[in-house]
Amino acid sequence: MKSVNQEAVEHDPQQLHDDLHDIWGNPKGLKALTIVNHTTLGLRFMITGMVFFLIGGILAMLVRTQLAMPDQDFMSPEIYNQVTTMHGTVMMFLFAIPMLEGLAIYLIPKMIGARDLVCPRLTSLGYFCYLFGGIILTSSLIIEMAPSSGWFMYTPLSSKEFAPDLGSDFWLLGITFVEISALSAGVELVVSILRTRTQGMALHKMPLFAWYILAMALMIVVGFPPLILGSVLLELERAVGMPFFQIAGGGDPVLWQHLFWLFGHPEVYIIFLPAAGIVSTLIPVFAGRPIVGYGWVVAAITIMGFISFGLWVHHMFTIGIPQLAQAFFSAASMLVAVPTAIQVFVWIATLWLGKPKMKLPMLWVMGFLIIFVCGGLTGVMLALVPFNWQVHDTHFVVAHMHYVLVGGMFFPLIAGLYYWLPLFSGRMPSENLGRWGFWLTFLGFNGTFLIMHWTGLLGMPRRIYTYEAGSGWEIFNLLSSISSFILSAGIAMVLLDIALHFRFGKPAKHNPWNADTLEWANTMPPSAYNFVSLPNVETRHPLWDDPNLPHTMAEGKHSLAVASHGRREMWGTDPITGKVREIIHLPGNSWWPLFAASALAVVCLSLLTRVYLLAGVFVIIAGIFLLRWSWENGAHPNAAPDAGVKPGDPPLHSRTMDGPGLWAMGVFLIANGSFFLSYLFGWFYLWTVSPQWRMPETPPLSLMLMGAAGVAVFAGAVIMEKLIRGLRQQRDAGLGAGFYTAAALGALQIGLTGWALWQAELSPTQTSHDAVMLVGLAYALFHGCLAVILTVLQGLRVGYGYVGVHAPFEPGVVALLWRYNVVVFGLLIGALAVLPRVIGG
Amino acid sequence: MERLNFTHPIHLTVGLTLWSLWFVGVYSGLSVACAVAPPAPEAGAVTLLNAGLGMISLIFTAGLLLLAWGSFQVAKQHRGRQHFHAVVSGWLYLFSAFGVAFAGLPIIAVPPCL
Amino acid sequence: MRERNSAIAIHNPSSRWGHRITCLMGICLLISVAGCSGDRSILDPAGPAARDVRLIWWVMLSFATVVLLGVTAVWLYAFRPRSVERTAAQERRIARRWIIGGGLVLPVASITALLMFGVPAGQRMLPLPLSEPPEVIEVIGHQWWWEVRYPGAEGGEVVTANQLVMPAGEPVDFHVSGADVIHAFWVPRLGGKIDMLPGRVNKIRLEADEPAVFGAQCAELCGVGHAHMHLYVEAVPRDEFDAWLMARQETELSEAATQASTHDGAREAFMTHCASCHEVAGVSQGRVGPNLSDVGSRTMLGAGAMPMEEGAISQWLQNHQTLKPGNKMPAHDDIDTDTLDALGAWLETLSP
Repeated sequence: MKSVNQEAVEHDPQQLHDDLHDIWGNPKGLKALTIVNHTTLGLRFMITGMVFFLIGGILAMLVRTQLAMPDQDFMSPEIYNQVTTMHGTVMMFLFAIPMLEGLAIYLIPKMIGARDLVCPRLTSLGYFCYLFGGIILTSSLIIEMAPSSGWFMYTPLSSKEFAPDLGSDFWLLGITFVEISALSAGVELVVSILRTRTQGMALHKMPLFAWYILAMALMIVVGFPPLILGSVLLELERAVGMPFFQIAGGGDPVLWQHLFWLFGHPEVYIIFLPAAGIVSTLIPVFAGRPIVGYGWVVAAITIMGFISFGLWVHHMFTIGIPQLAQAFFSAASMLVAVPTAIQVFVWIATLWLGKPKMKLPMLWVMGFLIIFVCGGLTGVMLALVPFNWQVHDTHFVVAHMHYVLVGGMFFPLIAGLYYWLPLFSGRMPSENLGRWGFWLTFLGFNGTFLIMHWTGLLGMPRRIYTYEAGSGWEIFNLLSSISSFILSAGIAMVLLDIALHFRFGKPAKHNPWNADTLEWANTMPPSAYNFVSLPNVETRHPLWDDPNLPHTMAEGKHSLAVASHGRREMWGTDPITGKVREIIHLPGNSWWPLFAASALAVVCLSLLTRVYLLAGVFVIIAGIFLLRWSWENGAHPNAAPDAGVKPGDPPLHSRTMDGPGLWAMGVFLIANGSFFLSYLFGWFYLWTVSPQWRMPETPPLSLMLMGAAGVAVFAGAVIMEKLIRGLRQQRDAGLGAGFYTAAALGALQIGLTGWALWQAELSPTQTSHDAVMLVGLAYALFHGCLAVILTVLQGLRVGYGYVGVHAPFEPGVVALLWRYNVVVFGLLIGALAVLPRVIGG
Repeated sequence: MERLNFTHPIHLTVGLTLWSLWFVGVYSGLSVACAVAPPAPEAGAVTLLNAGLGMISLIFTAGLLLLAWGSFQVAKQHRGRQHFHAVVSGWLYLFSAFGVAFAGLPIIAVPPCL
Repeated sequence: MRERNSAIAIHNPSSRWGHRITCLMGICLLISVAGCSGDRSILDPAGPAARDVRLIWWVMLSFATVVLLGVTAVWLYAFRPRSVERTAAQERRIARRWIIGGGLVLPVASITALLMFGVPAGQRMLPLPLSEPPEVIEVIGHQWWWEVRYPGAEGGEVVTANQLVMPAGEPVDFHVSGADVIHAFWVPRLGGKIDMLPGRVNKIRLEADEPAVFGAQCAELCGVGHAHMHLYVEAVPRDEFDAWLMARQETELSEAATQASTHDGAREAFMTHCASCHEVAGVSQGRVGPNLSDVGSRTMLGAGAMPMEEGAISQWLQNHQTLKPGNKMPAHDDIDTDTLDALGAWLETLSP
């Protein structure tokens, strides 16, 4: 393949660096809050994650202290329940996910030869949402008002009647806030991996780590929305009394469990996949040969990504669903053994055929293998229904889960941190302290949790704050507790080692482990723009095939080594072939993400304190901030007013019809669709299964009004499509008027839907039927408003000259939302207005 | 219509999407049938419901096997990128077929609504 | 592996194996000393369902151990120093053998065997129709106590609390539900657990081989009293079971409760302080707390909080918030000790 824009001229590397640094460099002082750079934000994610890990770890030690002896009253049951709930919540939501996302945010652009993620401001928004949400959630511990219903928040224990204080609200609001962060990172990782790989890097040539992260990000996109929906519904039930999960009002507490585990099971694989990605990255490097069976691994990742969505009921085997249904989930759970085994044996074969070295990171990989295989095997056992019925909710499951999560996530994570430390800091970790840390952690971990299997088999249930002397569990609990202190000593040593190395570590030589992937072509520590020039990469092992590549990249001998235009630029490439399609120009540092996240934090706090007026005001303020941020796109003076590129270069993405923003909207709509499908699931679930569901005699929703609203939104979408077709054919006459017409039709849809809602005279606090219906219509109204606002803004942007034939990019993004609205509204009419008439109560 | 060709990476996801559809289909079909018209417990596993679910599973298995065969055929005609996508898709179709057959096994032996 | 020199040996993980094997043996020894017994141990089954699961467990454990040791051994063996040169074709063949053998054949064979083996074992706990309908016992979980009902008792339904007496040697169907939040019903030595959901009735069939006493405890987090929600389960021979039920007919119980004029004062105090929550046959109809009609005959008080003996009820009434923190009975600080003693003495007579 002939590479685009191969520079033949000699550059002065220092001059190039200075030029690029002027554009990409991070500001200091207060302005550091505006940074959108992925390297900086990735590190912030990881450091914040480590802080939360320490908090979660202290909570774990409190639990083990309490359980060390029988009949202890070190903690009251109320405090104990808060501590265990927060331990699970903090580790899952505030450590595991953000930590791995942080690592991915840091590494992915470097590995695929890009200069940043594709939506840098979104990275920043995600970080602040995570930080603020995490602070709000953990602050509940300080005021002793933490959630206490378990990290899974089963209703009715978490509902108003049985948890009247603010604990559940802290959880529901804080977690939803944090999930904005997870989702936004998920969306941009997908788009970045698919659309911004460097020139020539075809899909089947990209590093395996990118495949793993792609799968993880897509799983986040599909897997998190069900929990967001569940949290919204439960918070509505708690705040205003809509009985979604109350039997008496026609709701069902089991619906919560479905929504929770629809998220909760994929979550385990969301955590495991990036960790396995670390293992698949390290093993070839330390074996000194390419991984065998690249295609096998890709297949295994894909299988895991899908199958993990078909397992959620195995957390609910004891709730009393038909045994055949349980058998489906049981068998599906066993199927996961196949992709896991494929990966394990790919790793073994790679070691077998290579010349592996037991360096410090590999020691952690070995610890991972032993612990994770053990956890996987008990996982297969748990998939078997009769055995599950016995050990479900006992310490056996606690042990299994820690084997899978600590073995499957923490050990590879530490392996990865040690491996990439030289990249973070330019220094090497110490072998000695590191080995001590590993062995203490490994032995302490097994001492704590191997025994715990046995405690569970002897019948000790989970989540009991004490047990009586003579139960036969005393000695095992004591051993677990002692070992847990060894474990924490080990972890403390590792963290100390990592902290000390920043000061005392030996300076690392370039590419210290002789790795094959592009991130090692960075300077150590990396510059803000990653690479002076972007290479043409057509191999899976660019640094092995061309060891000189880092130097030629730094000398600017490859593409896009230009800074004179003042734009942050990188390649936009074809998702399959890696051929260059356009130049992506990225926005610079911005205050808007911080402002928007702060406004959302105020929303969160005012919902918590039940000041709904303030919450409403700040929702609008946050919306204005976000729209203001989106204003600085495309041909805006702060973005890329001048579309000039060098002769022979592809156009800027904002001057094409298919930029990354379109892809981001697409991926966001997948997440949104997952939310909507979860909603439909809830509607049909309650309708068919809920014991006291009441279908009104006459369907309340007017078919005529809803149908008319549907016609309006369809007409609006048709107009949008027509305008897009015009732009494609270089016509933008009447573009602004077209947008305003579509917006008017959208407004008509909103009006008609609102009228239908008003006419329906729902009493959402009385029956779950009315409550669910109200939520569906509110969803439609919200999306209608969103489409109208964005379309009106497009009309305005036409007036300002930011949108038109010269910059035809944005209308396509908005039109995609219109298409989505048409589909969703059609489904809503079908589910809420037509089917009840056809089937009846 | 490049996407219809087995060399397009979209096929990496089609097999397992079909598996998911089958899975959701039999699970929700079973749940609705048990809520609306459960067969008598005395009948054991020999019910119309089991037969229906079994038929659906067989159809899906056969379809997925066919797709796997198709992918492998196409893979033989290509090298490089196209070969890679077709081969991996083929294995994924094969796994999906196995997944349907395996997770559908209990239909033979387990009474549906107990 | 040969020891090269001591400096290298420190960095050599295999030299730690001795230490770890010693540790492992220590744990095995400990487990064998402590044994598998215990009143809630699933490894000490007392019924057919639990026995099946124990068998499954030991088979699965043995197989899993072999797999784990095998994988670990191969992994470590791959680190051996060596200098073999292989052609690309040889490498491909070896890799394919590992991946297909270990990644496909091994898991597919294992899970197929497991499914064949495991699904039939679950059938035993299903409430399949029997030629002779089994005894039905209803168990309802409350925060944090158990209501137990015998709807099929000859002569009318029998209601008790925090004790479950069942016939031994025959299958019994348990119909369970929750009164407030979700609890879980689990008698580990008899078989699997089932959730007690509000608004729904779940069914599970269990059987005790022989007369014996079993421990049981709520298995689903249900609030602050979760750890103190124990259930005393006793299997007795059929005729004893029938007699036990007969003695708890409402007419029998109310006669015992309303006689004995020595306790008139206590009954009065009961009507003032307790009757709105507790039922005593013939005396009161409260439904909030446990039914106390046969409380004197129970083995434990407060859902396993303390053993029943003389004076125990009075002790319980005075200290129950310490014995079972957060339970929903008021603390009784306002009632003088003499009254509580008298109440306790009367309640202890409620023993058919």
